[in-house]
Amino acid sequence: MSEFETILIIDDEVQIRRLLEITLTSNGYKTLIASDGKEGFTSAATHHPSLIILDLGLPDIDGLEVLVKLREWFTRPIIILTVRNSEDDIVHALDKGANDYLTKPFRSGELLARIRTAIRLNAEKADMPVIEFGSLRIDLINHVVRKNDEIVKFTATEFSLLSLLAKNQGRVLTHQFLLKEIWGYSYLEQTQYLRVFIAQLRKKIEEDPSKPELLITESGIGYRFRD
Amino acid sequence: MRLFKKISLPFLASDINQYLIVLFVIALTALLCRPLSNQQGYYIVSFILLFVVSIMAVFLGIGPILLASTASSLVWNFFFIPPHYALHIERTEDKLMFGSFFFIALINGVLTNRIRRQEVLALEREERTNAIFELTRELSNTSGIKEILDVAFKDVKKYFDAASICFLKEKENTFEILARKGKENDNIRMDYKIAEWVFKNSIKAGRFTEFYNETGLTYYPLTGKRLNPGIVTIEFEKRLSEEKEIFWIGYLAQISNALERELLSELALKARLLGESDKLYKTLFTLISHEFRIPIATIMGASDTLLISQTTDLNRTDLFNEIFKASARLNHLVENLLNMSRLESGKISVHLDWCDVNDLLNKVTRILKKELENYNLKSSIPVEMPLVRLDFGLMEQVIYNLILNSCQYTPSGSIIMFNADYIDGYLVIIVEDNGAGFPPELLDRVFQKFFRVDNSKAGGLGLGLSIVKGLVEAHKGTVKVENQQNSGVRFTITIPTGIPDMKQIKFDQ
Repeated sequence: MSEFETILIIDDEVQIRRLLEITLTSNGYKTLIASDGKEGFTSAATHHPSLIILDLGLPDIDGLEVLVKLREWFTRPIIILTVRNSEDDIVHALDKGANDYLTKPFRSGELLARIRTAIRLNAEKADMPVIEFGSLRIDLINHVVRKNDEIVKFTATEFSLLSLLAKNQGRVLTHQFLLKEIWGYSYLEQTQYLRVFIAQLRKKIEEDPSKPELLITESGIGYRFRD
Repeated sequence: MRLFKKISLPFLASDINQYLIVLFVIALTALLCRPLSNQQGYYIVSFILLFVVSIMAVFLGIGPILLASTASSLVWNFFFIPPHYALHIERTEDKLMFGSFFFIALINGVLTNRIRRQEVLALEREERTNAIFELTRELSNTSGIKEILDVAFKDVKKYFDAASICFLKEKENTFEILARKGKENDNIRMDYKIAEWVFKNSIKAGRFTEFYNETGLTYYPLTGKRLNPGIVTIEFEKRLSEEKEIFWIGYLAQISNALERELLSELALKARLLGESDKLYKTLFTLISHEFRIPIATIMGASDTLLISQTTDLNRTDLFNEIFKASARLNHLVENLLNMSRLESGKISVHLDWCDVNDLLNKVTRILKKELENYNLKSSIPVEMPLVRLDFGLMEQVIYNLILNSCQYTPSGSIIMFNADYIDGYLVIIVEDNGAGFPPELLDRVFQKFFRVDNSKAGGLGLGLSIVKGLVEAHKGTVKVENQQNSGVRFTITIPTGIPDMKQIKFDQ
């Protein structure tokens, strides 16, 4: 699938650009390089890359602004790069249409996993009827979840939360997004709902709920169903 | 006649009143003495009049006393010395008597008055000395410019008939008003040119002085031995008497001394702080260069080897691993430095949100998976542990640093315990290990920046625990450290927090 995917890298730091270029080309991607926001726009418009890696700290235009402008017409995945301790920026970028994020310094394995997930999720237009992960099997059509071939019972809310996370397997979903999708707009601040239901889900699907392997917490941002 | 205000007889305050009183008292005395003179003769009346004039001399000014002396002589002559109702005196001894009466009344009145005045002056002098003494005493008990000026300006109106008083301090080539008392509008009339002139030349100027006297305010320089604290502007109701002026200059000198003392100690404090931060910088630079050099040397060495030599695959993997470990260590150092500087600059904002403590611990153990491989991490969190309001990201760093600290300071195989509970409105987290603990004499320094126990295998900048403290305090909580009775160290974090009303949460079936 990733044979001829083209990835546009928008980053002003030469070393990071070279690192990304080497990592991506050696893993079978084609790369395009832009060192600032303007160049990024031009390159994205000319080459229609399969995915864009966008650094939020650009010299000419604010990364978030670049993201918003790109999202006016660019529907393919955008992964943002940012420094640590910038949860607010990350959540903001995710709300503005970024598909995922990576904090610098990052591990190449993680970067490649994020890219794969984003491209896969973008390609899968039709919902998969069944999601399997290890001993866990989620039947989205019949609303049946099996763990080690045994049926696990879920309430309606629990199931919609689980299926939302599972359908976006590998992608981070923000607290606000989950609250809005499952409970509605008036619950955007009620994060306690999310905490309680995530804890319940973990009890039902994790091998060891105190060491969750499937529902991963992204500090200050949201949750991710492990890829 | 200002002096007599001291004797609190308000009706004597005005001069005209005093003259009227003199006339009234003399007339009254004459009237009362009328029957007496018929029986005892008119000499007795002269004594009574002299007595009355003396009494009045105690209370009245010199003018009214002169009037009293003259009036009483004339009254005695006119009404009592024969022939009555005429100023003409027939008998020679009466003429002599009249002359000596007038003289005695005059001398008596003037002398009594002078004694009285001396006494009042002495009283005033004493009061001024007391005022200065009191001011000195109070000023020595105050600290801070504002407080000094508060004390200094408190009684100025009472002592000097001032409508307003201001203290100006030089700041970046202009003046700022640091304190004011009295009328507010003086700000508009303040002439900073005069202030500057006064400050430069250390000479008083303004109203009632030789310079710039066409203005409403008088400007006095405050001068000190080592620095000049500033300027006092005062709006006098009337010109000060010479003695008052001396009093005022003495008063200003006290204020000036106190301000100079304060400013000098501020300067000394600044210098000390500068010195301390200088020392801190030196420590920091030594530490940083040392701590950074090791991983950098590793990275350079390993990558150089990889570039120039044909090592076996096994060695290559080892070298890559070393490079990765070294860069992770560099990253950790940078993270800690950044966190510390964010804490110090107050740039950390705490986003409180409902947090599951289990999740917090899970997250940290995931990140520290490698470090914890050789340790036995046990946790105890009650099943009914409620959600608590914390900043997840920040508390993650707190737990991370505490557990990492235990890993670094205990031998592998040690037990690390994580306990959390919710007790009476507080989240209590205890992280303890069964290592050697801290040397007792160093316990109260473990949260200090750049503090490291010598010979620790850890290295590092000694920032981890001070970041813990900073972040916990950002949550309005406390963290304390103690050595356990048997062995090992125990960190106790207490953070005030609410818990959600779980009854409100709607669970479906």
